[in-house]
Amino acid sequence: MATYHLEVVSIDGLEYEGEVEKVLLRTIDGDVEILARHTNYCTGIGMGTAHVTFADGTERKAACIGGMLSVMEGEVRILPTNWLWSDEIDVERARSAKARAEEALKDARLTKEARVRAEAKLYRALVRIGSAD
Amino acid sequence: MAANMKAVKLRIKSVQSTMQITKAMQLVAASKLRKAKEKADNSKPYLGTLLDTLHDIADGNHDFQSPYTKAGKNDKWLYVVIAGDRGLAGGYNSNLFKFMESETKGRDIEVFPIGKKSVEYFKHRNVPIFTEEFAEVAKVTISECFSVAKLLCEAYKEGKFGHIFLCYTDFVSMMSQVPKASPILPLSDLAVGDGAAKKNKSLILYEPDSETVFNTVVPEYLAGVLYTSINISVASELAARRTAMEAATDNAEEMIETLSLYYNRARQASITQEITEIVAGAEEP
Repeated sequence: MATYHLEVVSIDGLEYEGEVEKVLLRTIDGDVEILARHTNYCTGIGMGTAHVTFADGTERKAACIGGMLSVMEGEVRILPTNWLWSDEIDVERARSAKARAEEALKDARLTKEARVRAEAKLYRALVRIGSAD
Repeated sequence: MAANMKAVKLRIKSVQSTMQITKAMQLVAASKLRKAKEKADNSKPYLGTLLDTLHDIADGNHDFQSPYTKAGKNDKWLYVVIAGDRGLAGGYNSNLFKFMESETKGRDIEVFPIGKKSVEYFKHRNVPIFTEEFAEVAKVTISECFSVAKLLCEAYKEGKFGHIFLCYTDFVSMMSQVPKASPILPLSDLAVGDGAAKKNKSLILYEPDSETVFNTVVPEYLAGVLYTSINISVASELAARRTAMEAATDNAEEMIETLSLYYNRARQASITQEITEIVAGAEEP
């Protein structure tokens, strides 16, 4: 299959650069898969598991949260706020984060802002648990 | 002579204790710098790619539905100025402020200071300040960057400002740090291509639509730019401090050397004088 050049750069640094066959990830508008020769495209990234299929056909999963996806003249860039390859995910930590967020959400007196924060934490933890091997 | 010698000795002691402090500060800055530089190095590709992508979008954009893409009518400029929390960092803070002064000449500006020195400086100059909530640069975390980004977006959408700029110190190398100002909003300020290049660009597909995309992407972009610029500024500050403290330590060493030379000379002179006096006393009948 045709391949294209992909760059994944998160705030923590360059996560991946090289030829890939396809990328499947969750955007704000639902799951999107980018193949080679895609038209110029730009969207925001939601929260979900990204599947990257490399030129040799192997696939790697990652927890991909926030940021933007852009395709410009065949050059694909993923700029996530947070990107963790599945083998880098600390499942124990994600589980305890999930438990803590759930505990916080039980409190009825939570301010709106704190609730939003706790919910975001819960979603992040869930995505990480779901993306781990 | 004896009184003079005592003064010199005291002076040597005081310079020595100053040197101890500058040496300690140099070592602390150097060890902190290693970590900060790593963080800044990791941030740089993100900032670069992010800006490249947005330049491309700004160049190729034909869509002006979103308030973030078109230039505002308001002729007020907001500058986000990232400086240090503490002094004794050579020209780090003053270079940035001097640069700001020349950059903002003749413009109607308001400032969003980050870093205690930045707050102090603009308060002193009576420049209108947007908020002082994020005064300590050392305490700004990624989630705080998101709150700052949200504040900026809201202010921009309300039309309080026509342009938002970010002013920070770029980490060029260990020896050189350069103050820089870059436009962050509206996205049309980011466009670098000329008209001809613009026409050749094909349309960009936004899904679900450009407004929704920009509304979600812009706050994240701002937070990312802020966070990475803060990382780079912190590394610059530490590098500037290390260089300044190194110079101060060297100067102190030199001073001690000259002073000890002077002290020894004075000591020798006084001994000679004493001997002469004793000899003269013994020779008298």
